Amino acid sequence: MSYLNLQQVALGYGNARTAVEGLDLAVQRGELISLLGPSGCGKTTTMRAIAGLIDLRAGRITLDGRDISRLPPNKRDIGLVFQSYALFPHLNVFDNVAFGLRLRKVPAAELRQRVEKVIAAVGLSGFEARLPAQMSGGQQQRVALARAIVIEPKLLLLDEPLSNLDAKLRVQMRAELRRIQRELGITMLYVTHDQDEALAMSDRIVVMNSGKIEQLDTPEQLFNAPRTRFVANFMGFENLFDYRHGQLHGAAGQLPLAGLPANTACAGWRVQQVQVGSGPYEGRVLSRGFLGEHVEYLLQTALGEVRGMAPAAQASAREGDTVRFDLPVQDALALAA
Amino acid sequence: MKQGLFPRVVLWAVMLFLLGPFIIVFLAGFSGGETLAFPPPSYSRRWIVSVLQAEEFRQAFGTSLQIGLLATVIALLLGVPVAYAMSRMPPPGMAVIKQVLTSPLIIPAMLVGLGLLRHFVLLVDAPVFLGLLIGHVGLLTPYAVRVVYSSLANLRVDIEEAAITLGATRLQTFRLVVLPNIRGAVIAAFFLAFVTSFNQVPVSLFLTGPGISTLPIEMLGHMENSFDPSIAALSTLLVLFTMAFVLVTEKVLGISKYM
Amino acid sequence: MLASSKSRLGLMLVTPALIFTSVCFLLPVAALLLDAFRIGGPDSLDGGPLQWSLARFADFFAEPLHLQVLWRTLRIAALVTLCSALLCYPAAQAIVRVHARWRGLVLGMMILPLMVSPIARTYAWIVLFGRNGAVNAVLLHLGLADEPQRLLFTEMAVFVGLLQLLLPLMLMSLVSAMENISADLALAASTLGANAWQVFTRVTLPLTQEGLIVGGTLVFTGSVTAYVTPALLGGPKVLMLETLLYQKVSVESDFGTANVIAVILVAMTLAVNAGLKRIAAPRRTT
Repeated sequence: MSYLNLQQVALGYGNARTAVEGLDLAVQRGELISLLGPSGCGKTTTMRAIAGLIDLRAGRITLDGRDISRLPPNKRDIGLVFQSYALFPHLNVFDNVAFGLRLRKVPAAELRQRVEKVIAAVGLSGFEARLPAQMSGGQQQRVALARAIVIEPKLLLLDEPLSNLDAKLRVQMRAELRRIQRELGITMLYVTHDQDEALAMSDRIVVMNSGKIEQLDTPEQLFNAPRTRFVANFMGFENLFDYRHGQLHGAAGQLPLAGLPANTACAGWRVQQVQVGSGPYEGRVLSRGFLGEHVEYLLQTALGEVRGMAPAAQASAREGDTVRFDLPVQDALALAA
Repeated sequence: MKQGLFPRVVLWAVMLFLLGPFIIVFLAGFSGGETLAFPPPSYSRRWIVSVLQAEEFRQAFGTSLQIGLLATVIALLLGVPVAYAMSRMPPPGMAVIKQVLTSPLIIPAMLVGLGLLRHFVLLVDAPVFLGLLIGHVGLLTPYAVRVVYSSLANLRVDIEEAAITLGATRLQTFRLVVLPNIRGAVIAAFFLAFVTSFNQVPVSLFLTGPGISTLPIEMLGHMENSFDPSIAALSTLLVLFTMAFVLVTEKVLGISKYM
Repeated sequence: MLASSKSRLGLMLVTPALIFTSVCFLLPVAALLLDAFRIGGPDSLDGGPLQWSLARFADFFAEPLHLQVLWRTLRIAALVTLCSALLCYPAAQAIVRVHARWRGLVLGMMILPLMVSPIARTYAWIVLFGRNGAVNAVLLHLGLADEPQRLLFTEMAVFVGLLQLLLPLMLMSLVSAMENISADLALAASTLGANAWQVFTRVTLPLTQEGLIVGGTLVFTGSVTAYVTPALLGGPKVLMLETLLYQKVSVESDFGTANVIAVILVAMTLAVNAGLKRIAAPRRTT
């Protein structure tokens, strides 16, 4: 029996069309699972529904064996870390973190101990008397995390908590979050649109699109073996073409390619896998971008646009030049219909 | 800038026009004479002292104070939930409700007083104080709603959601999270309402009775019969009182941003 | 938050104020207004059965004094509104240009009068305009008059008193409207060849239209529904609608006419407010 279970959940806002439909999801205890997808795919809606801030239109949610579908948010024992942190502006760090414990009438001595322990765990010892307005984004984010963790919820939901931080801090915090999650053994549901973040942190990833789950898998599986066109594109396979009767079909035309499995309906290559400079095909350079070790090329070909790379030392072709390129069949991602 | 001279001059003239009268009232209040001659023949504190000691004024002041405080508190109790509902959970038919609740600002106050007199006080033989109180509460509630609403509209909703996910009920959320953050607006609404009630005339005109009179009504009555500077003295005191009130609260709370 | 319970909670929170306003405010006033359209009935002096009638209105408008009062009220209100606009535009312009440090103080001084009792504010005019008052003293001293002029209880006195009372409302409206106009706009207009007057009519005026309308509404309705100032400065000689109303009730016990005046007052304020909404609304599309 999984720890968190969503069965055939349907969600929508007001009278609008459904945002999420027929969603099934099973999360194991102690897992860090990411909801990954573009804006509007339904990941935040799903999270808010699990927290109880949105009503279910259909379906059930169970947590640790209990049906929480009809429970109000304050009775679900779920912690939520908001994208905007949502710290109480009139309370200092200590009181912010202690808020949930005070509501639960935890005795003073125990409260103090638990709060200080968790403040230390997020690396903010000494900040107890500060007000949110006096702290940086990264610090506020950690207070928000501490506040949600200290009540020892059954489930922790994080809604794009790092999206307001600069790139370097994001990478740092990402590792911190993972460490804390492992240490405390908390089951975490993490919403993000950042593919790298999800791949780096998660035990499993749920890729969502237009209110439905496209693929639920480990990061390795998702990266190497995406199962649908959408997921492939999302995971960096920028060159995706239909495949019929031994021919690749692109926006502008077709190119022959042999050697793909019989039932392939779609073939894809990452940018790094498309070799520019030699190969059976020809294209015209539309643009050229220097990346240090490599040069990235955008080519106009018989198929349409193709993106590829060449090692910097051999990348002599310029805009307007004609070059050869290869779509190596052994590196191809082959997707069945 | 030459172009700026004309507006500046007009501004000074306007300021003189608006504030000059206060100076005149001050001077008249400290007049030593028997009548309203201006400039006064002499200066003295006799009228100030006399009004401070006059029984009818003291009683009226007391009534005004009681009505003011009671009406303000009730108006806040009625109005703050409305402001909260309007900003966080508008009920169906909100537009109509809003019209109804702001109608006291549009309907001439004198009609309210008259209406209450004829169709409530006289009808059920209600005590005068009650009629007066009701009239004032009705007038003050829209102010309470308006001031508190503008503060709530600027308060983020996510902190309330955060409190709820941490286990708070709606009431606890309001008490522990919302209220502390709109404190300034509530206090500003309190002062605004109190001052409005204290200075109110039209509503009180028909709703006062023997023994129960507000200070402004009492002053009006006095002016009908005598022409001595006592009302000037009283006005002086009132203006000083109001000025101190407003300046202190503006300094401490900066209430002008809530108007 | 379960959506349906949220709506219900909202309704619950609004209900006490709603009930109070409806029962203690709207109902009595509605009853008052309705009475103007009825004559007869057991409580009335006329006798006869209770029935709907416009007779009271006919009686009201038949009396020349009433028409005079009505016309006077509208006239003075319009004049006060116009003058306040004329004075407040330059004044607001000056305020907006004031250095930020002083702005709060200046605005505070403008708002202060609104917090003071209208009796105190009007009183100064009694002192100034009285027989022994300052204005007369000056006139006599300068030899411009042989004897103390009657300045009190004139239309002019009421006009001046109302202007002083309501000016801050127009001022605040215009200041807030002007604050939203970038100073660059006037500058741009003048580099394109506009003189000061043209800048005003073609840039400032159109952009502050809404503020002008809001301020104008407040001042106009304030003038029409004022009591203290007309009572003190106009007295029984220069009656305005509200002082007439008061007289009908307290002195003559003529509730019938009082109700008619009430209807007129409400009709006027509603019309002005509705007119405001209609004029302001089309702006939203730009």
